[in-house]
Amino acid sequence: MRLYPFDLVEPDTLPAALDALSPLDGEARLVAGGTALVPMIRLGLVKPDRVISLHRLPELAEVRRDGGTLQLGAMARLADIDTAPTVREGWPLLAEAARRVATPAIRVSGTIGGNLCYAEAASDPAPALLCLEAEVRVAGAAGGRTVPVVDFFRGFYETALAPGEIVTAIRVPATPAGARSGYVKFTSRSAEDRPLVGVAALVVRDSSGRWDDVRIGLGGVAPTPIRAPRAEAVLRGEAPGDATLRAAAEAAAREAEPLSDLMGSADYRREMIRVWVRRLLTSLRDGARSA
Amino acid sequence: MKLELTLNGRPCVTEAPGHWTVLDLLRDGLNLMGTKYGCGEGVCGTCTVLADGRPIRACLVLAAHVRGRALVTVEGLERDGRLDPLQTSFAERGAAQCGFCTPGMLLAAKALLAQNPAPTVDDVREALAGNLCRCTGYTKIVDAVLAAAPGAR
Ligand SMILES: Cc1cc2nc3c(=O)[nH]c(=O)nc-3n(C[C@@H](O)[C@@H](O)[C@H](O)COP(=O)(O)OP(=O)(O)OC[C@H]3O[C@@H](n4cnc5c(N)ncnc54)[C@H](O)[C@@H]3O)c2cc1C
Ligand code: FES
Ligand code: FES
Repeated sequence: MRLYPFDLVEPDTLPAALDALSPLDGEARLVAGGTALVPMIRLGLVKPDRVISLHRLPELAEVRRDGGTLQLGAMARLADIDTAPTVREGWPLLAEAARRVATPAIRVSGTIGGNLCYAEAASDPAPALLCLEAEVRVAGAAGGRTVPVVDFFRGFYETALAPGEIVTAIRVPATPAGARSGYVKFTSRSAEDRPLVGVAALVVRDSSGRWDDVRIGLGGVAPTPIRAPRAEAVLRGEAPGDATLRAAAEAAAREAEPLSDLMGSADYRREMIRVWVRRLLTSLRDGARSA
Repeated sequence: MKLELTLNGRPCVTEAPGHWTVLDLLRDGLNLMGTKYGCGEGVCGTCTVLADGRPIRACLVLAAHVRGRALVTVEGLERDGRLDPLQTSFAERGAAQCGFCTPGMLLAAKALLAQNPAPTVDDVREALAGNLCRCTGYTKIVDAVLAAAPGAR
């Protein structure tokens, strides 16, 4: 089945891409890898008159370390993020989450910018980027701005982007020294599904074994990917025993606002948050995973 | 829109409307029917082809995005009239029944073996996770890929 016919525009500079996006005649959409947009067009959920491709902007595809910061161009492919030695060594949490997206062929085409802009609650990379406190660089006709990932997700499939804006890069601060981190993805039907519940966590212990930095990110459990501040507060300053870990998992389950869908009911999701938050935190405590 | 690419090892210059996907280009533009249309949503994997050696979903990728790249479809697996070892292995081990998933399976497996000549069962299952088969139950497909691996004992 063919796609609803649109005009394809392939600018080769960022200003030209911003220009192509700005006219108000008809609906314009950006396309990166197309793994989210093409099914939306095919299903008739969007009917753009103009599709503006970002694939001729090589500066948007870079994956590089800049001092302590990781610079990910918006067009960096998930497969390249997963396999880049820079990312695996310096930001193993992000590499692990990127590797869990869908299947190899989707990761070869799908980009990190497209993943964030699609703003699906059940994103695998988003909880990791929330834990790593990444920032989104945005370009618009009026200039650039930076939005912390935590403020980027505004609602169900909704981002902080204004009409005419393009995400150019994601900046990820250094993983804290000595951090332990991990991502777990629970799917109820098949390994390559979107996460029913995805949990990313990063903890830093002080010399006495207390967790002085605790970050938990959740996917699939609310209208957007979220941090779990109440669960983090239960753990901060603690050298957590099993009961404390269970209390943190309970807090995460309570602060989530899960929806019911074909993969699972809201109640089942809440129960799976309890299970997977506890399991991941236990493995981080016991040193089964490390960064 | 004009498109220049390498298709199954040969230069290819063609035309396609901007809203065409790689699958539209292959089946309707170039009359190569080996690549199948299953779901159109990236889920089933039967439209899998290789772009610069890596698997892509032909139903999701815009034709414009393979400009200048090297595409391989199932028609390009055979060399000088000889089947690829994967194709022979699939045929000998009964890894194809109705055959609808087979082109995608072969190309996903081809990409795996190019990158990992001695995969484990888990490696094969992971590489083929996005390729659905409603007939075989997968066991023979996994066996066939393992048997065709150049690094297999
Ligand atoms: C079968 C299947 C399974 C999937 N499974 C998973 C999964 O397990 N986990 C997961 O996280 N995701 C999953 N996805 C979603 C997958 O599409 C995204 O992860 C992917 O990263 C999207 O990137 P893209 O480049 O293809 O986006 P595109 O489809 O190109 O774009 C997505 C949206 O973002 C906009 N956009 C893209 N780039 C920019 C930019 N730079 N600036 C502003 N707007 C932009 C587009 O206009 C569009 O609205 C799955 C998708 C499919 C088809
Ligand atoms: S037709 Fe492309 S994945 Fe199903
Ligand atoms: S052989 Fe029929 S779908 Fe795989």
